[in-house]
Amino acid sequence: MTEATNPQPHPRLLERELVSRCLAQDALAERALYDAHVERIYRLMHRMAGDADLAADFTQETFIRAFERLEQFRGDSSLATWLHTIAVSVALNGMRKVKRIQARTEVIDDVPSLATEAFRFTGDLKARLHAAIDALSEKLRPVFVMHDVEGYTHEEIAGSLGIPVGTSKARLFDARAKLRLALAAFAGDHIV
Amino acid sequence: MNDDRIDELLARGARDYNEPGPIPRDAMWARIQAERAARPVAGAPSRSRPMWIWPSMAAAAAVILAAGVIIGRRLERTPAPVQSVAARAKPEPAPSDSQSARAAAGPAAATTDQDSLIQQLRAETRNTGRRARDLAAATHAPARDAQQAPEPSLAYHLVVLQHLAGSEAMITAFRTAARRGEMDAQLASWSRELLATTRLLEASSATQDPTMKRLLEDLDLVIAQIVQYATHGTNNSEELDLIEQSITTRGVIAKLRGTASARTSAAGT
Repeated sequence: MTEATNPQPHPRLLERELVSRCLAQDALAERALYDAHVERIYRLMHRMAGDADLAADFTQETFIRAFERLEQFRGDSSLATWLHTIAVSVALNGMRKVKRIQARTEVIDDVPSLATEAFRFTGDLKARLHAAIDALSEKLRPVFVMHDVEGYTHEEIAGSLGIPVGTSKARLFDARAKLRLALAAFAGDHIV
Repeated sequence: MNDDRIDELLARGARDYNEPGPIPRDAMWARIQAERAARPVAGAPSRSRPMWIWPSMAAAAAVILAAGVIIGRRLERTPAPVQSVAARAKPEPAPSDSQSARAAAGPAAATTDQDSLIQQLRAETRNTGRRARDLAAATHAPARDAQQAPEPSLAYHLVVLQHLAGSEAMITAFRTAARRGEMDAQLASWSRELLATTRLLEASSATQDPTMKRLLEDLDLVIAQIVQYATHGTNNSEELDLIEQSITTRGVIAKLRGTASARTSAAGT
C-alpha cells in the first residue's frame, strides 16, 4: 500500500514564499497577500472606527506600511498577526487624530466614567451599549471589539497588541464589567 | 435585571456594533497602488557612478559568474528530475563565455560596461531565486513514484553556493558604496531579491546542515539591515556602523568565503 502524501505545503511555508515573492516585487503575490487578509483587517478597522471612509483609510495605510516594512517580517508570528499589529496601531493613532480634530471643531464633553455618570437616555438599549463601547478606554476597547465583536482568540489578540494572553483576558473582563454596569444602570431606569 | 440577562443583552447588542458594509476591495487596492507609486523611494539612483566602485564590483562579478558556471556544469550532471527543475529555472539565458570572461578579466574590462555588469549580477541573483523557488515547489509536490522522487540535496547545495557568491558580491558592493554615501535604487532592489532567496532557503532542506542554517540566519539579518538602509537611502553613519558591526561580529564575509570555497571543493569542481 502506498503511503498517502499530503500535496499541500505547510501554511507557514506558503506564507513565507508569498512574502519572498512580494519582497521580489511580484505584483501578483502582493495582490494575493492583500486578498488573503483585507477582509478581516477592514472589518476590524470598521468596528474600531465606526465609519466606512475611515475604515478604508486605515486599511489602506495598514497595507502600505506592511509592504514598506515587509522585509522586517521575520516569521516569528503569523503574517496575519503581524498585519493586525500594524492595523491596530494605525487605527489607534488614526482615532486619536480624529478625536483631536473633533475636539478643535466642536465642544465635546469629556467622556464620563461609566460607573459614575448619570445616564442620559438618548435611544434604545443597543444605542446605549454602543455608546458605552465607544467610551471604553484605548486599552479595553480593542480587546473587547476583537474578542466579543469579531471573534478573535485571546492568543490572536495578545499577538496583535503585543500583550500577554493573561492581560488580554483581564482587559476583556474589565471591559465587560464596565459595559454590564452601563447596561444595568440603564436597565434599572428603563427596563422592568 | 439579572446578570445573565445583562450578559445576553451585551452579547446580542455587541454583534452589530459598527457593523461593516460591503468591503471596497478593489477601490482600496487601487488607492494602495497609487499611494505606493507616489511615495518616492529615498535615495533615487544616481547615474554617475564613481570609477572606484567598479574594481570591487568586477571582482564580485567574477565570483558570482564563476559560481554560475560551476552550478551550470553540476546541474548538467544531476539526475533527470533535478535537471528538469534546473531547466525550468532558466528562463533567462545564462551568461555567455564572453560575458564571463569580460567580467573575470578585472576592473579595466568591467568599467567598460558598468550598467550591464550590475544587471548581470542581478540577473544571476534572480536566476538563483527562481531555482530555489522551483526546488521548493518540487520538494513539496507529491511524488508520483518513490523512485522518481527528486533528491533535492545536491541541487540545493548548488543553489546555495550561487546564493552565497551573490550575497558576498552584494555585501561587498554595499560596503563600498555606503562608505562613500553612494546608495542607489539598484542596490536596494538587489538586496531585496537576495533577502527573498535567503528566506526561501532558510525554509528549505538546506538548513538540515546546522552550519548552513546559522550562516543563512546571519545572512538574513545582515541583508535585512542592508535592505532597510538601501531602501530608505539616508546616509546615516550610525545605522551603517550597526550593519558593519553585524557583518564583522558575525564574521559573515569570512563564513561566506569559507563555506563557498569548501562547498565548491566538495562539489568536485
